[in-house]
Amino acid sequence: MLSRDADAMFWMSRYVERAEHVARLLWVNANVLVDMGDLAARFEERQWEGILAILRLDNLEPAPGDQRPVSERVAAHMTLSADNSNSIVACLTRARENARSIREIISAEMWENLNQLYWSIQGDDAAARFAESPDDLYRSVMTGSMLFQGLTDQTLEHDQRWLFTQVGKYFERIDVTCRVIATKFAILQDMGPSLEVPIRNIHWMAVLKSCGSIEAYRRENFGEMDPTRVANFLILQRDFPRSIRFSVAAARRAIASIRTGINVGGVDAAERILGRLDAQLEFAERCEIEETGVPEYLQKIESAIGAASAAMQKAYFQH
Amino acid sequence: MHTIGSAEMDEDKEKTSTMFENYQVDGLFDEMFIEPGKPRPHYASVASRLSSMGHAAFQRRRHMADVTFRNQGITFTVYNDTRGVEKIFPFDLVPRIVPADEWRGIEKGLIQRITALNLFCQDIYREQRILHEGIIPPELIYGAKMFRREMFNVRVPRNIYIHICGTDLIRDKDGTYFVLEDNGRTPSGVSYVLENRSVMKRCLPSLFSAYGVRAIEDYPFNLLQCLKYVAPGHVDDPVIAVLTPGIYNSAYFEHSFLARQMGVELVEGRDLLVENGFVYMRTTAGLRRVDVLYRRLDDDFLDPLCFRPSSILGVPGLMNAYRCGNVSLANAVGTGVADDKAIYPYVPDMIKFYLQQDAILPNVPTYICARESDRKYVLEHLHELVVKSTNESGGYGMLMGHQSTQKERDEFAEKIRDDPRNFIAQPVVQLSQHPSLVEDHFEGRRVDLRPYILYGEKVIVMPGGLTRVALRKGSLVVNSSQGGGSKDTWVLEDEAAMAASASTNGSALAATNGAVNGATHGAVPAGNGSAR
Repeated sequence: MLSRDADAMFWMSRYVERAEHVARLLWVNANVLVDMGDLAARFEERQWEGILAILRLDNLEPAPGDQRPVSERVAAHMTLSADNSNSIVACLTRARENARSIREIISAEMWENLNQLYWSIQGDDAAARFAESPDDLYRSVMTGSMLFQGLTDQTLEHDQRWLFTQVGKYFERIDVTCRVIATKFAILQDMGPSLEVPIRNIHWMAVLKSCGSIEAYRRENFGEMDPTRVANFLILQRDFPRSIRFSVAAARRAIASIRTGINVGGVDAAERILGRLDAQLEFAERCEIEETGVPEYLQKIESAIGAASAAMQKAYFQH
Repeated sequence: MHTIGSAEMDEDKEKTSTMFENYQVDGLFDEMFIEPGKPRPHYASVASRLSSMGHAAFQRRRHMADVTFRNQGITFTVYNDTRGVEKIFPFDLVPRIVPADEWRGIEKGLIQRITALNLFCQDIYREQRILHEGIIPPELIYGAKMFRREMFNVRVPRNIYIHICGTDLIRDKDGTYFVLEDNGRTPSGVSYVLENRSVMKRCLPSLFSAYGVRAIEDYPFNLLQCLKYVAPGHVDDPVIAVLTPGIYNSAYFEHSFLARQMGVELVEGRDLLVENGFVYMRTTAGLRRVDVLYRRLDDDFLDPLCFRPSSILGVPGLMNAYRCGNVSLANAVGTGVADDKAIYPYVPDMIKFYLQQDAILPNVPTYICARESDRKYVLEHLHELVVKSTNESGGYGMLMGHQSTQKERDEFAEKIRDDPRNFIAQPVVQLSQHPSLVEDHFEGRRVDLRPYILYGEKVIVMPGGLTRVALRKGSLVVNSSQGGGSKDTWVLEDEAAMAASASTNGSALAATNGAVNGATHGAVPAGNGSAR
């Protein structure tokens, strides 16, 4: 497989996953504020700053004369703004651009689905749809992404090409999940113990929803909202595809299979990093995260993924 | 009128036949009608079905076609400002039909032409007999921008230079076919031919199956065979790749399409490197040798060490590998000398010289501005001539004399005096017209035809080709970059099949539906329903 094609496979998949996360974050957080009713005003600013932080964006100063509330400004900036390289439209444009450069090696189903998703958020039609119901637009992006992942699984041979899409998808998922948890932890910490329990619970539910994990969490924890349990669940759950541990294991398997196809006997640098991380998460004690501190624990995971990503690019994309 | 028992035929009865009601032939050659209301025999069935279909139903099909093209990403890029805009190549659903006997003549003419053009390339880069014997003035060859000294005495595999040729044909007022130009470098458009056909089958299936249309779907297979045939002699199982300038090239869709259809890699210059005279591509498992490149990159950009030094699209050292015979290129380097517009007028002489035959397909009369007498005539008759730059394509650098202003003519006159070698002129040919959908009815629009010819172990002419349509009323320019569209082109099996089709629509439709349903029922495996 051409190195450039492997690179495009990885990024195509990663950008689709990112678009889905952005859509879910915006979708969930608009609804959280609705749930808080009168208390919403107190949290609003902080809430939307948090979203920008999760996506590693600077705070958004209103343009002179811009009277829109912060929620609208952030949502518009994150959805259809082509200037913002992490907006949904920018992510899907880059995903499609990558797909277009490897059109001949992905399946027709994958291409047509991604191409349609791209066109569905272009132009005046999309702007009108967004104005009328942002919810609809976010849901269609999430569904479109999931459909794309399903088509990737079901219409492409599970060879090197597919393996690179898996690595891209899971790296992105780990990255965003780490930042969602870390950012929310920081916000809640700042607010201190004065926060009423129901409000605190709404926040933790929002974290779980932002990671697409609320239902799975409830089944395992009988609905009880507890920060340590939420962190443990999102980081260490074994079988849930949106947990960090699951994603690390999947990325590790994919990297190992790629390496096996090229060099049966060896181990490469990315595989070594992911293997160690995988073992750490697999054999972690339940109290380990709390003792280390959630932000510190997540920081280690993030840097391991960064190192694995760099090692993989060096090994396969840059001959 | 035929009666077809489907709902859409009834829904707008008042519109029946109005789609052709004010159709005019205007003294041109019309592909479909001998005179208004009187279709040519091979079009009878299409004309009656289209007029009975009604506007709304036709629009629905058209919309379906547009959506299909967009969703599949069948687009090309137009550069009108700094940013390229992706556009659908407008597809006109009314098919162009070429009867079998007419096609036989075209096919023979095209085979003759590509054979002569290949012999010409070989001669020019070896012995130059055609120059020594005074058939073509040497200064025309040496003055050609696309003449490549680097190719002199280079042995190309199987002595084939032009492997893939797209020849533009037009018809004049009497319906005679003429060759307007040969495209012997990197002709594009074949992917649209194949996609048009596939969309046509989806949008108007019963109309399509009522005709015996010759299949074109084996083109990618034939192309692959052709590329394998010219692989370097030392390899048994050649690695073939399509070389593209990248996703921002206007024909990128086609490059990707052909790579996919042939099941070969699509590479860019940056994916390749040359080591010890061999070409390699960078893969996740290291370097892999490449033996044949179907390159969709002009000579100028192929190798910065040999041609344009600033090109970053090509591969340093590629020409060296090519001259060593370690990699094959299709088309060969230097074929631009054969499709230069100033050489074009000599093609009939080439055919006579190399094949001792008369040209089957005539050329359009052409004035070569490099010739003094021709130039004088051209400058005096600019208002009635089409002037073309010899090295441009895509409808750029052209003067349509009869539609030009005095200022434009003065500018062109000056350009011609400055660089006569760069211009030719031709009388305006009134291209044939074909019905096209315009709003809610059909109007005549001018068309041309570009068939594709493959020269490998044998010469294969794709039956049909790209019919391009000038969608603006009265326009004679069909290029996609100038607002042209395209049609599916049907070459018919033989006359007998056509005659039969004229009387079998209703029943054929019913039979098809029945068969499909029956097969579906039979094929569905017993699922949950019976298991529970």
